[in-house]
Amino acid sequence: MASAFPVSKALKYLLVVGGALVMLFPFAWAVITSITPGGSVLASPPDFTPEGANLGAYGKLLEVTPFWRILLNSAWIGAASTILQLVTSAMAAYAFARLPFPGRGALFAVYLATLMVPLQVLIVPLFIEMRTFNLIDTYFAVLAPTIASAFGVFLLRQAIAQVPKEFDEAAVLDGAGHFRIFALIVVPLIRPALATFAIFGFMASWNSYLWPLVIIKSPEFMTLPLGLAELHGRFTTEWNVVMAGSVVSVVPILILYLFAQKHVIASVAQSGLK
Amino acid sequence: MTKSTRLAAAALATAVLATACSQGSATRDTSADGGKVTLRYFTFSAAPDHVKDLDTIVAAFEKENPKVDVVVETAPYDQYFTKLQTSIAGGTAPDTFELNYENFVTYASAGSLLDLGSVAGDSAPAGYAKESLEAFKHEGKQYALPASFSTVVLFYNKELFKKAGVAEPTTSWTWKDEQAAAEKLTDKKAGVFGDFQPVQFFEFYKTLKQAGGEFLSADGKKATFNSPEGVKAATWLVSKVGKTMPTEAEIGGTADYDTNLFKSGKLAMWHNGIWQFSGLKDVPFEWDVVVEPGDTAKASAVFHNSVAASKTTKHAKEAYAWARFLSSSSVAATTRIESSWELPPVSNQSVLAGYLKDPKPANRQAVFDSLKSIALPPVIKRQQEMQDAVTQELSNAAAGRTSVEEALTAAAAKVDELLG
Amino acid sequence: MTLTAAPPRTTPTSAPRPPRRRLRYAGTVAVFLLPSLIPLVLFTLVPMAGSLWVSLHEWNLIEPMRWVGLDNYGEVLADPKTRAAFLHTLTFIAGYLPLVYAGGLGLAMLLNRAMGGRNIFRAIYFLPVITSWVVVALMWKWLLNPASGIVNWALGLLGVEGPGWWTDPTWAMPSIILASAWKDLGFVMIILLAGLQAIPNEYHEAARVDGASAWQRFRRITLPLLSPSTFFVVVISLINGFQVFDQVHVMTGGGPGGATEVVVEQVYRLTFQYGRAGAASALSWLLFAVVLLVTLIQVRVQRRWVNYGY
Repeated sequence: MASAFPVSKALKYLLVVGGALVMLFPFAWAVITSITPGGSVLASPPDFTPEGANLGAYGKLLEVTPFWRILLNSAWIGAASTILQLVTSAMAAYAFARLPFPGRGALFAVYLATLMVPLQVLIVPLFIEMRTFNLIDTYFAVLAPTIASAFGVFLLRQAIAQVPKEFDEAAVLDGAGHFRIFALIVVPLIRPALATFAIFGFMASWNSYLWPLVIIKSPEFMTLPLGLAELHGRFTTEWNVVMAGSVVSVVPILILYLFAQKHVIASVAQSGLK
Repeated sequence: MTKSTRLAAAALATAVLATACSQGSATRDTSADGGKVTLRYFTFSAAPDHVKDLDTIVAAFEKENPKVDVVVETAPYDQYFTKLQTSIAGGTAPDTFELNYENFVTYASAGSLLDLGSVAGDSAPAGYAKESLEAFKHEGKQYALPASFSTVVLFYNKELFKKAGVAEPTTSWTWKDEQAAAEKLTDKKAGVFGDFQPVQFFEFYKTLKQAGGEFLSADGKKATFNSPEGVKAATWLVSKVGKTMPTEAEIGGTADYDTNLFKSGKLAMWHNGIWQFSGLKDVPFEWDVVVEPGDTAKASAVFHNSVAASKTTKHAKEAYAWARFLSSSSVAATTRIESSWELPPVSNQSVLAGYLKDPKPANRQAVFDSLKSIALPPVIKRQQEMQDAVTQELSNAAAGRTSVEEALTAAAAKVDELLG
Repeated sequence: MTLTAAPPRTTPTSAPRPPRRRLRYAGTVAVFLLPSLIPLVLFTLVPMAGSLWVSLHEWNLIEPMRWVGLDNYGEVLADPKTRAAFLHTLTFIAGYLPLVYAGGLGLAMLLNRAMGGRNIFRAIYFLPVITSWVVVALMWKWLLNPASGIVNWALGLLGVEGPGWWTDPTWAMPSIILASAWKDLGFVMIILLAGLQAIPNEYHEAARVDGASAWQRFRRITLPLLSPSTFFVVVISLINGFQVFDQVHVMTGGGPGGATEVVVEQVYRLTFQYGRAGAASALSWLLFAVVLLVTLIQVRVQRRWVNYGY
């Protein structure tokens, strides 16, 4: 359709490119601010060709925080959290979409309901619970609330519901059990949703702030958002360092996104919808 | 192995790994380890710039007290109290922690703090500036020791004064002088503003005192700032907005707007704290400081931080020793002075004299002069609510949404409710 | 109440079974469900129960709890600030949801087609989603600076005097809506893209052969088959919208003059700044009741428009 009307195609490109510039702007702004030395960083209007641009803020980042340690903590907690969430959510989603059992609707409602109470009031009870398990200041405590994801169960249940039932019915006729249907038919078919959820699951862990803040005490367990927050002083803040930290913290998710995106694309015909 | 089993195996491995890690680092209690006591200290003022300075003080303390191992935990000020409260609620309060003056009363009256007098024995706290030590008494008991303080002074850009042909501020200046100068210095076409003083709780309680008013009644049970002096003080603050000072819309929520305005040489006078000194080292113009002008009286705001010990600590003696060392030892005092990490509240003037050695700003003496008439913020149990209520009403007046009188009436009603 | 997808037409397991097979089936369900259910109970439902307990107490976290029964609920319900906070939250949702859905769908449709560099574009549109609110807030404040921001400058070129944005009680919420929709466009886009990708191409091919126009194919094929994803986006966006906090906290902190004070901002302040953990919990459960009601209505209504299975 579009190819028949070059003008409309050009317009579309213009729209997409224009929008992309608007979307890129803050990131570009953060990068520029991070290499702008000293106090003029938030000048208005900003200086997009700052004088004496340098990477000093990145050096400072390494200096004031045990940066590599923090990055490693966040990375492995994020990876573990993502894998656990993917597995637990995909399995539960399969049960909700394909295995009828009494009280299924009610149980799903409970899952959704867990998303409806603000985290802020769950922090203290959860902290006290961890205290009774003697888990305060441990990696496991940071990870624990992210093992199950109601968001993920919901997302993947919707995805499984979109898989044509004829597929698994055919498999059943071949004598396949639920585990085989799940692993061999459903999981490959919902790969776009799994990839999507992997990104969100990782992001949730990567950016998680309030819970790690209260549960972690030792600097060696510190995660990235905690380290970045420490860059803000009570009265003054070095914005170039804060921006450097923000830029660095985006990069791993961006890489994961690009990686996951390949999977989203690979799972369907290259041509897409025309 | 199918894909899903591989995935499941990976998950299992991760879970096992996670548990293993948690085992390895299970909650380190402040228990003795070979007769050594681990003492936890939680602070907001060390990160990001003074972690190394704190390390220096800790090392010196541990050298003197080889049986104590001080473990430092830090959090940014904005989230410090979230973390502190949660750990107290969960029964895992740090042995010692930092408290600023405004929050001290809340914690002291909640019974969360150890009465340091009860463990001091014959080593009663000594060597502190008297007002500072008094500030951290509650109902006659010393619940914390003052560790550091900062004051607010008037910063000014010498070049702008010269250009406008206005005499530089002196100690004898009053609001009137400041206002007259600010009007002459303001040049909106050039983007130059004469003055900058935020319209909020901390500026208000101080200017109220400068005008001769009181924030709370003597028994602390009623708000008394809705008075002629209160109106005068609030009007003084609000009247600057849009005339000699940028409006809220002009600031537009920009972070560190005033800092950047001053640094770019477009702000003549700036009410701010001495913590700004180090950031202004390299600005390309001459600047200095002076004690803030008053109205009927002089009054300078002081921000105090203290060290307190948790009531639940198992190492009360060590906690007291550390609190004393951190607040009044000569190592701590000189470390603070040398790194401009606020000022130590010590009475020994020769230690403080080191502070004057730094050549910038020339009139560092103003910092000590400002201590002659200090204004401590009013503190109540529901402190944060009070601060927010006063700030919100004042900013309504500053934006012209209400009159100053209406704002003060509303704020006083809210504060009375909080006291009630 | 049932929240299940449309009842399965033919399910291999729905026929009556002998007891042993039933037991085995129950075991299968348990194996699929428990890895998620156990941590959910332990680390979410137990704290939820804890917060319900807290809501019946006066508690400042640093002193022992004091039982007050339902007083906190009474207080929160009577407080005019609560009504204002709910009103602001609803305003946010009303502005944010249509904007982010329409924008996200448009983007997903646009970037689902074969076009040069579409992967790069997708990544770029996703960039704001992963950028922290601290950076995004600073940037938007700068863009919407009433005096020196680009937006008001551009409006000025058109002869329009720009509003005070953040600093004006009328415009503060629209500013937050704008920034939030901008940031979350990529979130909606990626979920709808995943949904679009799952629609088998043959459906479109067949319709095209039948001579359906692009618009007809969009209305008759894309939208209905995308409805489970749409349902997900709407439900999640509403649940998240009711709990809007981060952006308000970093952008306006509830100001100016309380114009953007939202429910969770109040919950946060009550818990950690005002020493009113009980009142905060009560307010949270009130919010919970509202969100649950709204979600249940959506679930009821979904049967009319959400299309599961083929």
